[in-house]
Amino acid sequence: MKNTSRTSSITRRTLLKASAALAAFPAPLIAQTKPFAGITLHGASFQHRFFTLLQKYIPEFEESSGMKVDLQLSAFPVYNQQANLELSSGGSAYDFVNVTFILAARWVAAGLLTDLDEFTSDPNLTPAEWNPKDFVDGAQVPYRDAKGATYGYSWEGGAMLMGLSRMDLMEKKGLKIPKTFAELQQVCAEINGTDGVAGITSFQLHHWNLPPYIQGFGGNIFRKPPGDIMPTLNTPETIQGIEFYANLLKSAPRGVLTYTEDQARQSLLTGRANIFIHSSSWVTPILLSEESKVKDTSRVVRSPAGPVHDYPASNSQGLGIPKNAKNKKAAWEFIKWALSPDISMRLVKEHGHSSVCRRSIITSEAYRKLNTVNGQDLGAMYLEVLELPAKGENYMAYRTVKEFPIVGDVLNKAFEQVATGQLPAKDAMNAAQDQAIAALRRAGTQL
Amino acid sequence: MSESGIDGERRRFIAFALAPSLIVLFAVAVLPAIYLVVTSLTPFQLTNPGSAIDFSAPLRNYRLLPGDPRFVNSLIVQAKLSCWSVLFQVLLGMLLALLLNVPSRFVEFARTFFLIPMVLPPIVVAVIWKLIYTPDISPLYYAAQALHVTMPALTSSVDFALTSIVIADTWEWLPFTFLMVLAALQTIPDEYSEAALVDGASRLQIFWYVTLPFITPILVISGMFRLIDSVKAFPLIFLLTSGGPGTVTEVTNYYAYLLAFDTNEIGYSSAVTVVMLLLVCGISLGLVWMGRRREAMA
Repeated sequence: MKNTSRTSSITRRTLLKASAALAAFPAPLIAQTKPFAGITLHGASFQHRFFTLLQKYIPEFEESSGMKVDLQLSAFPVYNQQANLELSSGGSAYDFVNVTFILAARWVAAGLLTDLDEFTSDPNLTPAEWNPKDFVDGAQVPYRDAKGATYGYSWEGGAMLMGLSRMDLMEKKGLKIPKTFAELQQVCAEINGTDGVAGITSFQLHHWNLPPYIQGFGGNIFRKPPGDIMPTLNTPETIQGIEFYANLLKSAPRGVLTYTEDQARQSLLTGRANIFIHSSSWVTPILLSEESKVKDTSRVVRSPAGPVHDYPASNSQGLGIPKNAKNKKAAWEFIKWALSPDISMRLVKEHGHSSVCRRSIITSEAYRKLNTVNGQDLGAMYLEVLELPAKGENYMAYRTVKEFPIVGDVLNKAFEQVATGQLPAKDAMNAAQDQAIAALRRAGTQL
Repeated sequence: MSESGIDGERRRFIAFALAPSLIVLFAVAVLPAIYLVVTSLTPFQLTNPGSAIDFSAPLRNYRLLPGDPRFVNSLIVQAKLSCWSVLFQVLLGMLLALLLNVPSRFVEFARTFFLIPMVLPPIVVAVIWKLIYTPDISPLYYAAQALHVTMPALTSSVDFALTSIVIADTWEWLPFTFLMVLAALQTIPDEYSEAALVDGASRLQIFWYVTLPFITPILVISGMFRLIDSVKAFPLIFLLTSGGPGTVTEVTNYYAYLLAFDTNEIGYSSAVTVVMLLLVCGISLGLVWMGRRREAMA
């Protein structure tokens, strides 16, 4: 009897055929790993180093996701205008957009953006390791509505720090790093004119540079934003802040009122001005940049505290999805990737891009190593300031209410009138208060 | 075919030939202007999309304008800027044309050289003057320092900010008036001035009684062009002063820009622009009427 077992009949050729047949099965599975194949994702933002760097990695994302990314970058004011028009007219040209800090509250309140909680709360769409809570809370505040829903995730943080470029001159004069407004005033006045160095430098966006002084004296731009947006431009505390900053600029280079950010940064980097108080990415180059002529004599520290509050300004920029976007899931896939811990860390390690908003990255050893210069842990300072608005009172709320641009513009003009001696502070701010109220009413704001 | 038939056919042909360019002109010039006027009748705000079609109070923006101190101030600043810059451009352009109205190779080269500012893009002109007016990097300030003269920062000084814009605008557009006047000078027959010389007239008298009457129409026309154009001094103001310090250099078009692009008040900004448009049209028509009246009297 021929005992032919089945196994013995399996020849090498049969096995190979079977293997080939089995190998053919995963083909549809592979196709399914690219559910966005064929989609072209349209996104827009303003030009920024983050996106310039991100564009180097986008081909990897396109390869892994199967979609194409069309990212349009424009100048800051141009982008804001385009996005404002597009979103407010209910357009669907963009799948993802930059949620500009100063427009965030407006867009969120007007319901122009998609609630991203529907993506983050679905484990199929967002893995646990992406961890939305990893984003620094202070940077996320502008992208939340009153109920706490999230409409954007921050890709860029700005934290106001103080850069000092001429510690050598300060030591010669026996001056210490100023920690209070009064000390700041004294240091600026003492240094100004020494070896042709200006005491302080600044730039023409007064409604960014000025509020920390106003708030430091206990004033504010609005009564209690975001709920109560009655302007408070002529309170004694606000006037005190205006006078203080105007006095401070007497120690600044000639023409400081028309300085751009670049001009101010350059005057610090070349040691022509001793102090510059601005977002970390504008101040830390005195220690990190190749352009800096003052690396050995520089320090970066927390900006001085006011007699009432210590409120250094901070801001962030976020990525969000328009309400009427055509490819929301694909857009979320992109945002998830662009703001992933992996990409954030690569930006830090490969490009020294330090203004990320993920706490796990900022507190990582790699980040600390790269951002500690002359014993100064710049990352720790950046994180400390970025977190402040979420602790207790959100003191940056004034800047994210939709009424701010109108009042900010009035504040700019009024401050220049004070700084150039056209009007005493009290008169200028009384007029500014009336103008701000009139302009808000004209714009349809109920006060 | 009858004569009237040929005329009709010719008219139809002309209308047919002109139609494409008229349609394009209507699309690019008239339609946006109509939209501007329509928008000015609404409280349109970018953050309130519904406001774009709210015609419940169509004249509200226009009623608010006279009570807006910044709008009134912007008109005054615009008037100052226009008057001074036009005056300088016409006078200096005439002076330069008189100086360079001589047959010489060098002068021909100099003429070409003088045209450069006019052909530069306006933003480039603004950047050049930004460099000149920035104390840290400006050769002007280095020179002043060498002479132990302390100069204020012109663009952030209340007293000099508008003057600095006038100077930059004059530098940019002086070639235009220079070119116009030079062209007019070259059409004056030599016999007139030669005859005046023989009669013993001085150079000044020849200019006053012979040259000036010839070039007056050109001076008026070039002045009119520059007056209309001076309303468009936007790049200089945008880059040099941002309308400051305070509102010292805030002209009407810059104020309209701030309203539209900074504070998103599209409706109100449109009303400001419409008023500006009407003022420019009024000035233009006034000047044309004056010109015709002169011709009629001549």
